[in-house]
Amino acid sequence: MVDDDIPSTVATSEEDLLRVEDLETRFFTEEGQVNAVDGVSFAVRESDVFGIVGESGSGKSVTALSLLDLVESPGRITGGHIWYRNADLAEEHRERTPEAVDGDFVDVLQLSEGQRRALRGPSFSMIFQDAMSAFNPSLTVGEQIAEAVEVQRRAEANPRSVRSKTQGYGLGSYLSGLVLPQRDFVNRQSKLEAIELLEKVGIPDPAERADEYPSQFSGGMLQRAMIAMALAGEPDVLVADEPTTALDVTIQAQILNLLKDLQAETDMSIVLITHNLGVVARMCDRVGVMYAGEIVERGTLEDVFDDPVHPYTQGLLGSVPDLDRPGDRLHPIKGNVPDLIDSHMDDRCYFADRCPKAMERCLDPPGERQVGGEHAARCVLVDGEYDESEALADGYFEGSTAGDAAASEGSTADAAAEEATSDD
Amino acid sequence: MSLAKFLVRRSLQGLFVIWGVVTAVFMLRFVTPGSPVDFVAPLDASPELRARIAAELGLDQPMYIQYLDYLWGLLQLDMGYSYISSTPAAARVFARLPATIELAVAATVVAIVFSIPLGVISATNRHEPADYAATGFSLVGISTPNFWLGIMLVLLVSVQLGWFPTGRRAIGFWPAVQLIWQEGTLAGIVVWLRYITLPAITLGTYFTALITRLTRSGMLDELGKEYVRAARAKGLPETLVRYKHALRNTLIPIITILGLQLGTLIGGAVITEAVFTWPGLGTLVIDAINSRDWPIIQGSLIVIGAGFVIVNTIVDGLYAYINPQVVYE
Amino acid sequence: MISDRLKRNLKKEFRNSLLAKVGVFLMLLVVLSATFAPLLAPHNPTQTNPEQAQLPPLGFESERETSEFVDGEVQTVSRSVEGSMEHPMGTDAVGRDMASRILYGARTSLLVGLIGSAVAAITGVTVGLTAGYYGGRIDDGLMRFADVMLAFPSLVLAVALVGLLGPLTVPIPDPFVTAGLADGMPETFVFPVTVTLVVALVNWVWFARIARGEALSLRQEEYVKAARSMGASDGRIILRHVLPNSFTPILVLATIQVAAIILLESALSFLGFSGTNLSWGFDIAQGRNYLATSWWIASIPGLAIVAAVIGINLIGDWLRDALDPGIEGESGGM
Repeated sequence: MVDDDIPSTVATSEEDLLRVEDLETRFFTEEGQVNAVDGVSFAVRESDVFGIVGESGSGKSVTALSLLDLVESPGRITGGHIWYRNADLAEEHRERTPEAVDGDFVDVLQLSEGQRRALRGPSFSMIFQDAMSAFNPSLTVGEQIAEAVEVQRRAEANPRSVRSKTQGYGLGSYLSGLVLPQRDFVNRQSKLEAIELLEKVGIPDPAERADEYPSQFSGGMLQRAMIAMALAGEPDVLVADEPTTALDVTIQAQILNLLKDLQAETDMSIVLITHNLGVVARMCDRVGVMYAGEIVERGTLEDVFDDPVHPYTQGLLGSVPDLDRPGDRLHPIKGNVPDLIDSHMDDRCYFADRCPKAMERCLDPPGERQVGGEHAARCVLVDGEYDESEALADGYFEGSTAGDAAASEGSTADAAAEEATSDD
Repeated sequence: MSLAKFLVRRSLQGLFVIWGVVTAVFMLRFVTPGSPVDFVAPLDASPELRARIAAELGLDQPMYIQYLDYLWGLLQLDMGYSYISSTPAAARVFARLPATIELAVAATVVAIVFSIPLGVISATNRHEPADYAATGFSLVGISTPNFWLGIMLVLLVSVQLGWFPTGRRAIGFWPAVQLIWQEGTLAGIVVWLRYITLPAITLGTYFTALITRLTRSGMLDELGKEYVRAARAKGLPETLVRYKHALRNTLIPIITILGLQLGTLIGGAVITEAVFTWPGLGTLVIDAINSRDWPIIQGSLIVIGAGFVIVNTIVDGLYAYINPQVVYE
Repeated sequence: MISDRLKRNLKKEFRNSLLAKVGVFLMLLVVLSATFAPLLAPHNPTQTNPEQAQLPPLGFESERETSEFVDGEVQTVSRSVEGSMEHPMGTDAVGRDMASRILYGARTSLLVGLIGSAVAAITGVTVGLTAGYYGGRIDDGLMRFADVMLAFPSLVLAVALVGLLGPLTVPIPDPFVTAGLADGMPETFVFPVTVTLVVALVNWVWFARIARGEALSLRQEEYVKAARSMGASDGRIILRHVLPNSFTPILVLATIQVAAIILLESALSFLGFSGTNLSWGFDIAQGRNYLATSWWIASIPGLAIVAAVIGINLIGDWLRDALDPGIEGESGGM
């Protein structure tokens, strides 16, 4: 809907492993349709770390879940493409579903559900924010990692095309596995590999720890174990959704270092979802800034961090406390992220109501504009400087849009408080 | 606290409750209007005859002596003699026990076999016809009195269709099994199955409905949790996501609730027995109440109460065993 | 006791839930039948009429064998009988009107259910709050006693108690008949006292457990501590602070218990222990002997029980969803 005028073009590169085009994920709730991901495009290169950064409620976590097809009802991926470069997979599908194949790329969203599921583990994997809730409390940590190893082992043993919906492991197999140990899903070899993985992510006494339950692990250790679980399938793309948010600062650094080391070792690509700009600066090669379900600016880390074009990106960077200049005041962005309910969203730049440089032109939805090289932004300022004569009157949006009204109940107080501290 | 210690403590608690049960049952006779002698003696009995009968039954002793006598007897599995038939009460009670156990176990099997898949199907096909059907079934199931259900089954299946026999069971499970290797025939088991089917469905329906309900809501909770998403993210087959991960955590609390519902199962068995004239403890206790046959009443109630406590203790132990999270308080 | 927020939730949940509406509808049906039974009933439910025995419900036919004089000798004649508006639900084995019996049966079920549940709630909540609030010995003693109570399946205990104590009943004059509005109807309504007390006695433990749990956790709350430090008496603290806060889970439990007690009452009547013969369970027991010839005598009262219990269970679900008191699972049953 937004990109009718200027089709979004992902700057393609030979090294791309993943090209996401116009991804749309919607939630159909009682309050209305929520456009959580609204035409998102980006590319992830091989052995690269791509960061998606934004405030909470910007749709970045839903983007992460969409990549693995883990969006659950009432949510659904409603449009777009996720092109994934995998020569074997492309060969396999070239005959049967030619529309889903483009060169070595396969559009994951056009595959059947079973085929997409088969990609989880060996192709895509994910680590979650809160390891304590991402592990099943009533199974040992070792068992849960061994399951992931087993998925990979079975994936290698079977050609992708014959894997059924249950991946050859139905209820009958499970029930017989309960009675006969040798029919269990996880075999001994996988359990040993799980212990090796635990060792690899730096867990002391891995053989003993493997038999413990998640509640017996500390937060940092469990996060390491979750990384081990995600790496078991030797994935091409690891999606990390706020991997360090739940941890305290010293452990955060350890986990980030671990991720960096493992990435260097395995050559995987990482899609890192975070609201923490420090983490982005430390980890990422390329970055996309998300706001209200859209990527408003993207490019290399240098493009976006050193030369931000979009006022939102500028605001975001301005709100990071600069440790070198402690005297500087924090400059949070006024207002709140819109609630993304379709009927509340006017057809305009979604940031205009919070934007210090909002102009009349911003009342039309801005398409994505190339700034130069890989750098692109969804903002009219790419075309020209801010023109004060076109500026929207102060309070233009107040009370006029339902989005503000809906978001205001709990948040105006916060916003006002923020204004009070930032307007000095 | 270790598991072993927990089990020992739980068993001691169980014994304490059983002692309470025995005491309560014993007291029951003293709060009930009328003397047992009224029921045993002829209507025109002389005071001398009545006194003799009372002495014979041990009723002339002070209450605490009678109580200690009774406890002492119980420890040797002696529950006295039936006032009506003069046979040992313990023998009669224990002779009826297998029929009740068979019925309760068969009903539990029916309940578990049908309810858990129903609950899972219901939860994994939310807002689809299968879910509505399962939800509707469980609502009706928990709202139907089982004696009426039994009568309706008899009316529809036995009277109208003639499929299953009605009336008391023709053979016990154990004799039927013995027939297999003594005579090499399955006929005994077939007869046993034909007789137990309707009572088992009658007694099992409430539990099928209840467990379906609990499984459905538990599964819905569990399937929404992050570990399920993580299991899917690592590519685990959906079967394992549902049954090994989500169902496991769903069943852990259900086991406790079932332990609490065991009383309902036994109570249901009593009335199911009345509907099908099943020769179990239920029919025994009802007959004994009607004829004030105290040794039988006391014996059956104690066996029922103690059985309940024992099974509950086992369920607790099982719960502690399968749930590594359990805190032994 | 119920805050405005809870009231809003109740309304919202009611609007959104078809099942809640069905529940309220069924419950209204039962309450209206029970209240206005003398006005609604087409016949006196206790009036026997051998001439009109075993008539099928409206819209059904039944073959009946009767002995008649044909040509001066007794012969067995098979005749087809049709249901009529006169007896829309047919008649029982001695010619009593089933529809009237169903309406009056609602009175027994509802009264025993409501009063039984209320008595159980009052007893259980008193014991539970005392145990939970004071803790220590009192708590231990009361809870061990509760364990022993729980060791008896409620139906077994109820059968034993009612069977042994004997069915005490109280005739209550029917206000409609006294006022002359319903001539020809029974002048008194037989209320089964023993049954009501016994069902309350076997079910109070569930209330005690919940109330105790609530009291235990509330005892630690700051405002309770504050009230105590200001010298409020224990009784006052329990009544003013602890009870209102444990109101929601108790209300939900009481609702579910009405259903459980109706089932229990019908089982006791079915076994012949109730003392009143105007009860759905009693009619099922009667009809059981006529399954082969008159299916409706046992079937229709059962449908009435199922409808009433479904209605209450649905209301229980509605309350639980709207008030979310966090009661796990159900209790009681039958």
